Amino acid sequence: MIDFARVQKELQECSKDIEKSGIKVTPKSDSSLSRLIGTIPGPVGTPYEGGIFQIDISLPDGYPFEPPKMQFTTKVWHPNISSQSGAICLDVLKDQWSPALTLKTALLSVQALLSAPQPDDPQDAVVAQQYLKHYQTFVGTARYWTESFAKSSSLGVEEKVQKLVEMGFPEASVRSTLESVGGDENLALEKLCSG
Amino acid sequence: MQNQEGLPADGEVESSFSNSDFGEWDTFPDDDIMNQKSLIQSDEADKIPFVGNKEPLSSLATEYQSGSTILLEKIKVLSEQYAAIRRTRGDGNCFYRSFMFSYLEHILMSQDRVEVERIKANVEQCRKTLQSLGYAEFTFEDFFGLFLDQLESVLQGTETSVSHDELLSRSRDQSISDYVVMFFRFVTSGEIRKRSEFFEPFILGLSNGTVEQFCKLSVEPMGEESDHVHITALSDALGVPIRVVYLDRSSCDTGGVSVNHHDFRPTVAGDKPIASSSSGTASPFITLLYRPGHYDILYQK
Repeated sequence: MIDFARVQKELQECSKDIEKSGIKVTPKSDSSLSRLIGTIPGPVGTPYEGGIFQIDISLPDGYPFEPPKMQFTTKVWHPNISSQSGAICLDVLKDQWSPALTLKTALLSVQALLSAPQPDDPQDAVVAQQYLKHYQTFVGTARYWTESFAKSSSLGVEEKVQKLVEMGFPEASVRSTLESVGGDENLALEKLCSG
Repeated sequence: MQNQEGLPADGEVESSFSNSDFGEWDTFPDDDIMNQKSLIQSDEADKIPFVGNKEPLSSLATEYQSGSTILLEKIKVLSEQYAAIRRTRGDGNCFYRSFMFSYLEHILMSQDRVEVERIKANVEQCRKTLQSLGYAEFTFEDFFGLFLDQLESVLQGTETSVSHDELLSRSRDQSISDYVVMFFRFVTSGEIRKRSEFFEPFILGLSNGTVEQFCKLSVEPMGEESDHVHITALSDALGVPIRVVYLDRSSCDTGGVSVNHHDFRPTVAGDKPIASSSSGTASPFITLLYRPGHYDILYQK
């Protein structure tokens, strides 16, 4: 049986310092507290900076003795997060979970994971390989994904693609170039022009 | 990889990985591993409850019938002093679970209200320790509350009083038992962090990490086993002496077989008084039997 009184307290506590932490937890629906949505801002100084990432949270019956299940719903390019499913590889969500932790501290750990990838213990082997072998490409891709999927306000990637295609560049190379420069339209144009 | 022909099993594993280039991991999600872990735990649960029934010490000897003669000798020595054993489940929480039952049972039998008042003061102290260490109140208050409820309930003469049978069944009820275990984990972690300078050298020897990491990884998660450090911290924090009797294969040079024990005696920190057994003797009223990796409860004759 989930300890809902505790979940309630956690939600209250978390909403108190939203300004400071930027971390939000809200119930998915009014009827139940077992499904929640967490939101974390991408850490400053990382390819995730400026992005807002959504995480699907579901509480198992044994919560808080069992860890909350967390999964990114925002697509993210990171060695410890599946680029397909959003599954997160993080010790505190598994055997290092303790009832002394909370949804907020768990989300803080996820946020810290964005700052400090552990490619030696990957969730997504493709991303991890890229991180280890072609670090700059990794940074570019991660930034591009942040631009494309974690930013709702900025100009959408599709619009950038369309703009560049209209200038006469082939779509495939527009996409790969945009990706390689992390979604920056001007850099992509420069690169496309220089051949 | 350097798999030899002689190791076909390893070779098979290796080839299945290289075929799909890590793709296997996608079909082997963490959920499955977690599920398997809980399956193992429920298998274990079928064998022995969190806290077992009291058994005569002879049942321990039966267990080693075809085993080490040193152990059988030692059990014989034990049986001169101890009458019975109560086993606990080997789920990594056995030290806390043994302590819980042993302590509450002692209060139930002795009705020692002075001791109850004493430990309550210590519990309050522990609460303050956690607050000052920056723990959010709501993360630990339920666990503290539940322990204090159990403490009240073993004192007889009120509406909420429980019998010995009821204490046993509560200790077997996960929704109570695990909360009390977690209460002890909070108390232990708080004490270690509060006196991190004292505990640091011991922890460095065990884990190579910082005191904080040790608490996060080896004290606060359920199922993490307890060592000297944990027992010292819990005994100090609550002011309750604990005797641990060691049943292992170590033999004695002098020829005669004896059984080692160690008394964890709370260091008198500040003005905190220490629990004494009702008979006034110096020996701790909680005695645990340690076999490598596991704690059970022992009963003196």
